Amino acid sequence: MKLFTSYNSILSVITLTGLLIIGFLFYQTLGQYINRQIEDHLYEELLEVKDFAHVKNILPSPEGFDDVIVEYKKIHKLSNSRRSFADTNFYNPKKKHKESARYLKTQLVLNGQPYEILIIASKFERQEQIKSIILIILLPVIALLLILWLVNKILIRRMWSPFRQLLTNIKAFNINQEKVFEPIQTNIEEFKELNKAVLEVSLKVKSDYKEIKLFTENAAHEMMTPLAVINSKLDTLLQSNSLGKEESEILSDLYKATSKLTKLNQSLLLLVKIDNNQLQAREEINLKTLIEEKLGYFQELIQKRNLNIQSELAEFIIYANRSLVEILVNNLFSNAIRHNYDGGSIRITLTEDNLDFSNTSTQMGLDPLKIFERFYKDNASDGTGLGLAILKQVCIRKNYQLSYCYQREQHHFKIVFKHSENKN
Amino acid sequence: MKFLIIEDEEGLRQSIDQYLTAEGNICDCASNYEQGYQKLSIYDYDCVLLDLTLPDGEGLQLLKYLKKLNKADGVLIISARNSLDQKIEGLSLGADDYLIKPFHLSELYARTLAIIRRRNFNGNSLLSFNELEIDTASKEVKVNGQLVYLTRKEFDLLLYFLVNKNKVISKSAAVVHIWGDEADMADSFDFIYTHIKNVRKKLTDSGCKDYFQSVYGVGYKFTDA
Repeated sequence: MKLFTSYNSILSVITLTGLLIIGFLFYQTLGQYINRQIEDHLYEELLEVKDFAHVKNILPSPEGFDDVIVEYKKIHKLSNSRRSFADTNFYNPKKKHKESARYLKTQLVLNGQPYEILIIASKFERQEQIKSIILIILLPVIALLLILWLVNKILIRRMWSPFRQLLTNIKAFNINQEKVFEPIQTNIEEFKELNKAVLEVSLKVKSDYKEIKLFTENAAHEMMTPLAVINSKLDTLLQSNSLGKEESEILSDLYKATSKLTKLNQSLLLLVKIDNNQLQAREEINLKTLIEEKLGYFQELIQKRNLNIQSELAEFIIYANRSLVEILVNNLFSNAIRHNYDGGSIRITLTEDNLDFSNTSTQMGLDPLKIFERFYKDNASDGTGLGLAILKQVCIRKNYQLSYCYQREQHHFKIVFKHSENKN
Repeated sequence: MKFLIIEDEEGLRQSIDQYLTAEGNICDCASNYEQGYQKLSIYDYDCVLLDLTLPDGEGLQLLKYLKKLNKADGVLIISARNSLDQKIEGLSLGADDYLIKPFHLSELYARTLAIIRRRNFNGNSLLSFNELEIDTASKEVKVNGQLVYLTRKEFDLLLYFLVNKNKVISKSAAVVHIWGDEADMADSFDFIYTHIKNVRKKLTDSGCKDYFQSVYGVGYKFTDA
């Protein structure tokens, strides 16, 4: 729920209840005030009747009254109740319909005969008056509320616009890219504070991230020299004449582990390098030629595994960093060869804007969300688990769309190159 | 041949020294900038192996100094930093090659020999081993004067083994030499077996003796012993 909606719903409930209560009280008060006026009037009429009776010794004729109806009734004896007012309905003979009214009932003794006198006054006009009064008061109040609501809406929208801008800027902030968080211009203290806090956090996050990258880079670099020592010592050991079968096997394992460690380190460094955008020089690259070159490069590996290569390559030129694109194609090839089975197949399709590598594998479909994660690999794989992560990193850096799917027992890796990026 | 190894990591320096000396070369060692500076001023070398990060100075400064002395020494930079900028800077300052740590000694040796070969303009580009003859310039292999057709990778492999003759070359070193660092294929050691089998077959088919010896699955040796 939006802040304004939430605020508004609370406000409207309060306003409506308030309006209802005030309206009710207002109506009541007005009603009582009107009743009292009518009662005064009735009482005056009664006094007139009494005066008339007192002077003339007869009751005045009921037809002699204009705005009230007077009725007399002979009764046997006087009761205790002297005078009473109450509401009633009566038939207005002039207007020929029923109207609500108020009456005064009292008793009177004339010439020893007790009478009951009923004086009825119509409330119709007064009620119309109340209605008018209420309308006159309520309508402007409602109009005022509506205007207030509108003004509120506009004002709040305007006041929150820095906040919305802030939100957009926060969303645009990307730790991976050079884009820094852009502070907003506002005079509102709260937003200024928020702005400042977000700015500080973003700077902190950025510097922390930079530090981590630097650490990764330095750690990987520092490991290269000891690795070089291990390698050279292994090479020296290998020259020993007293090398038996057992020692050779141990050496072989050591070599494998060392080269894997080296590869892992190199991959980490490469990731950092791509992350840091260190490979920038761009040139025109004919992707078709490059893939054909790489086919030659991987030829022996392909032959050894007896893989069937089907390629459909259209002429396609992209404008990018050669190293990055080579890494991209190398990793696609390595992946397709490594995870294949002997006698399997690889299909390479290059059309305008889109490159598709598909390969057969002993593996079933993999989780497309996890496959590009660092160090995600199956237990059978001898790789570093960074190949696809590097692939993804290159694509992120170059704004290429990388996707994976498993169709008809083939693993598909598809890269869509953005046209706009290439033509300039 | 005479080498100068400027490297602060003692273990690495020793191994290189040992490997090169065993090949019949003379090696001088320097463990820091100062020692390197002095040796470069006094002696001439066929090839200088230069580490870029020294405890008391920048290796690139030594390179500049060497070039200022106008000496003909070949320079192979060995660095832990795989940075294109540094590589370009080193090469533009006059280094002949750039090798990234970690490396195999056989690779290092092959590179230094290649540098020396290239520097000796008057020297011929022919390498021979009994009936086998390799022309590094035209990339031709001859057995008893007869041309043998090898693929690019097979040629590289044969040359690699020939310059490191009588040494055991691990499969790992051979894979790195053939594939470089780019492909995530460093673990496909067994494939080198196919490669060597092909080279062997082509050579023996044209009447060459089989000089390749397998060393218990860990590597191969090119020798006539």
